[in-house]
Amino acid sequence: MTLLRAKDLTKRFVSRGPLGAKAAFTAVDRVSFDVRLGETLAVVGESGSGKSTTARMIAKLLEPSEGTLEFEGEDVTRAKGAALARFRGNVQVVFQDPFSSLNPRHTVERILMAPLVYQGIAPHGSRRAHAKELMERVGLDPDHSLRYPAQFSGGQAQRIGIARALAVNPKLVICDEAVSALDVSVQAQVIELLRRLQHESGFSYVFIAHDLAVVRQIAQRVAVMSKGRIVELGTTAQVFGDPRDEYTRTLLAAIPRIDPEWERRRRERA
Amino acid sequence: MSDLLVVEDLTVTFSTARGPVDVVKDVSFTVGRDETVGIVGESGSGKSMTSLAIMGLLPKGAAARGTIRLDGTDVLGASPRELRQLRGDRMSMIFQDPLSSLNPYYTVGLQIEELYRAHRGGSRAAAREVVVGALRQVGLPDPERRAGHYPHQFSGGQRQRIMIAMALVCSPSLLIADEPTTALDVTVQAQILRLLADLREQSGMGMVFITHDLAVISSIATRVLVMRRGEQVEYGTAEQVFAEPRHDYTRMLLDSIPRIDDPLDEVSA
Amino acid sequence: MARYLAGRAAGVVLILFLVCLFTFIIFFTLSPDPAVMICGKTCTPERIDQIRGVLGLDEPFPAQFLGFFAGIFAGRDYGEGANLVHCAAPCLGYSFQTNQSVWDMVVERLPVSATVAIGAAVLWLFIGIVAGLLSAVKEGTWWDRAAMGLALGGSSIPNYVLALALQYVLVVQLQVLPFPQAVPFSDDPALWFQSYLMPWLVLATGYACLYARLTRANVIDTLAENFMRTARSKGLSPALTLRRHALRPALTPITTIFGMDFAALLGGALITETVFGLNGVGKMAADSIAKNDQPVIMAVTLLAAFFVVIGNVVVDLVYTRLDPRVRITAR
Repeated sequence: MTLLRAKDLTKRFVSRGPLGAKAAFTAVDRVSFDVRLGETLAVVGESGSGKSTTARMIAKLLEPSEGTLEFEGEDVTRAKGAALARFRGNVQVVFQDPFSSLNPRHTVERILMAPLVYQGIAPHGSRRAHAKELMERVGLDPDHSLRYPAQFSGGQAQRIGIARALAVNPKLVICDEAVSALDVSVQAQVIELLRRLQHESGFSYVFIAHDLAVVRQIAQRVAVMSKGRIVELGTTAQVFGDPRDEYTRTLLAAIPRIDPEWERRRRERA
Repeated sequence: MSDLLVVEDLTVTFSTARGPVDVVKDVSFTVGRDETVGIVGESGSGKSMTSLAIMGLLPKGAAARGTIRLDGTDVLGASPRELRQLRGDRMSMIFQDPLSSLNPYYTVGLQIEELYRAHRGGSRAAAREVVVGALRQVGLPDPERRAGHYPHQFSGGQRQRIMIAMALVCSPSLLIADEPTTALDVTVQAQILRLLADLREQSGMGMVFITHDLAVISSIATRVLVMRRGEQVEYGTAEQVFAEPRHDYTRMLLDSIPRIDDPLDEVSA
Repeated sequence: MARYLAGRAAGVVLILFLVCLFTFIIFFTLSPDPAVMICGKTCTPERIDQIRGVLGLDEPFPAQFLGFFAGIFAGRDYGEGANLVHCAAPCLGYSFQTNQSVWDMVVERLPVSATVAIGAAVLWLFIGIVAGLLSAVKEGTWWDRAAMGLALGGSSIPNYVLALALQYVLVVQLQVLPFPQAVPFSDDPALWFQSYLMPWLVLATGYACLYARLTRANVIDTLAENFMRTARSKGLSPALTLRRHALRPALTPITTIFGMDFAALLGGALITETVFGLNGVGKMAADSIAKNDQPVIMAVTLLAAFFVVIGNVVVDLVYTRLDPRVRITAR
């Protein structure tokens, strides 16, 4: 079942020079894809590929210049008011930098309950109990619900960001470079957490990233973007195992690898 | 032949309001002429502080003890003046973010030229020739014209090439590269890594390459130092560290990195 | 570049026109009837009507504004016959209290205000930047704390207190300086300098304190930049590192603030000029407010607005030269 459908999404940024001279830059050029219920679709690309602009458009944080966005069959491209609020209750975002996307002056409890307040949803039981339940789900110590973001490590702060996204029980979570800023050991744990949460709750991810190796661990389908366009969209096995586009092949070839001989020897010892 | 760089029992201490904190503890390694030593670690491992200590660039409130010798010269015991003569001439450094590492107010040509003239003197015109040559060497197209451009007029990869040209303009015997490719796209990273390896080989200098990325280290370093919370966890040849890691932390790190070539597991249903 | 300049010029003209319009609205509709003020105590309704006729106050607002606006470019006449008064272009109005064209009054006094402003600016830039720079380089030392404490105190002393105190000590008690007179430089350079010294000091004090703190903050921020680390890693001398790499990025933003402060000052230093009895634009404003000489008040307001608008444009243009990232590139 299709949850979200982007059709010919286009974003042009117009910069105005002196005397109103215009220069248009097409950041995203007629991008189309579906996100099915319960799946993870990754959007990968290098800087300037348009992946983040695409993420912001499907999260309705940015209005597309052209194209349509459907959610559960309903056109939400220009949704306002109640329709937009409903959309926000179904689609949540986890951002790259956990610290700058969490209010440093609010306790974790207040941060986690904020989406419920905006949506007018009653918490399960008390606010405190609901916040603690969310913290437990993402592997945080529920006794820390009255702490402030600065009292957590980077990986823990990102777990708070994930818990906040889950507070309203969304059907789609957009992860915009959600694990890029983390150390590898922490990154592995957060990826594991994201997979477990999806397994438990059955929501979908749109996973925006530049790191193909990370994407490969979590996505069922991958869209490769370059210069504002999707150059290749297929299953993870196809895109990584049998890339059809020249750019995808270049991208895959550029990833640094540990000498396979060393890898084999290490695994034999383990 | 003696080693180019000798670091022995290096300890870097920050004086804080709550007393002294060691951010680097008893780190020892050597860099030979004509080789690349990788320092790898996660954030807070002290890898960058180690490199800043070698350059004598520790921030205010930080002090280094132990021994650092560059080609026989005692770096930690050097006077500020002697240290200035070493920096840029016999040892150079490139950084993670080339945009903020270049002064936005001056042309890249001037920024390379001032380094050259600080150590070699000579006329501006003569230095200009050297600058253009250095920019050409790092593969920057149209170097005569581009030398007159400002940092913001270049792409990320070009800016790192400019930093490399600057670092190498006096042909130092040691280059310290602190996460030089971390801020770059993967395709650009591959180009910069190749450029650094080529230039190092041509000039026969020693290189210290600092990164959090094990795969990057494995492709460029002959020896590897693994750091964690300021301590040296493991130190050996790249082959030994990657094929036969001795320490649990190294093994854990190697297990954490996602592999692009491993068989896919159950995710891709 | 040419297109940019043309665009800015058009913008300036539009803003100045709007400033004219709003100033006119405020003064000629909201304030007390100028005819009554001019007429004085022994006044009859007929006399008031007559004055209103001469000033054109009996006409509807658009006609009045048009008359005023056209006068700036073409000059205008007030009254008729024997009572006719001609106000030559550029006519900003006519003061019936002093029987002078307002423009002539401004032209006469502007050099005094400009002298005050320029001298003070030189002083405060020099003192402020040097003190701020020293404080930044010696951050946390006793010098830094003392200088910044002084700067904080200095910027909180009101100008009139400082002016009166200086005048009392230097002129009345110690008698090292004469009472200020606005003599032209060519008449008596020594007296000119002595006369302007106190106004310069008074005006410069507050600004110097402010600029010292700004400079310190900017230099400290700049010293923490990555490119400063690069400069040190290159083995440049500390002097070159500071002069070339730190100073320009730190001082460039100050250009903006300086341009605005200086422009505002050209419009007259009301308190300082009044205390020292210097016949500048500021004192003219104070006098005309006291006498409710509306054409003059309005002209002074316009003048101040004019300097601020022009100052803004000059600052932007200078900025494009100082910071290559905002340089206007020809397409």
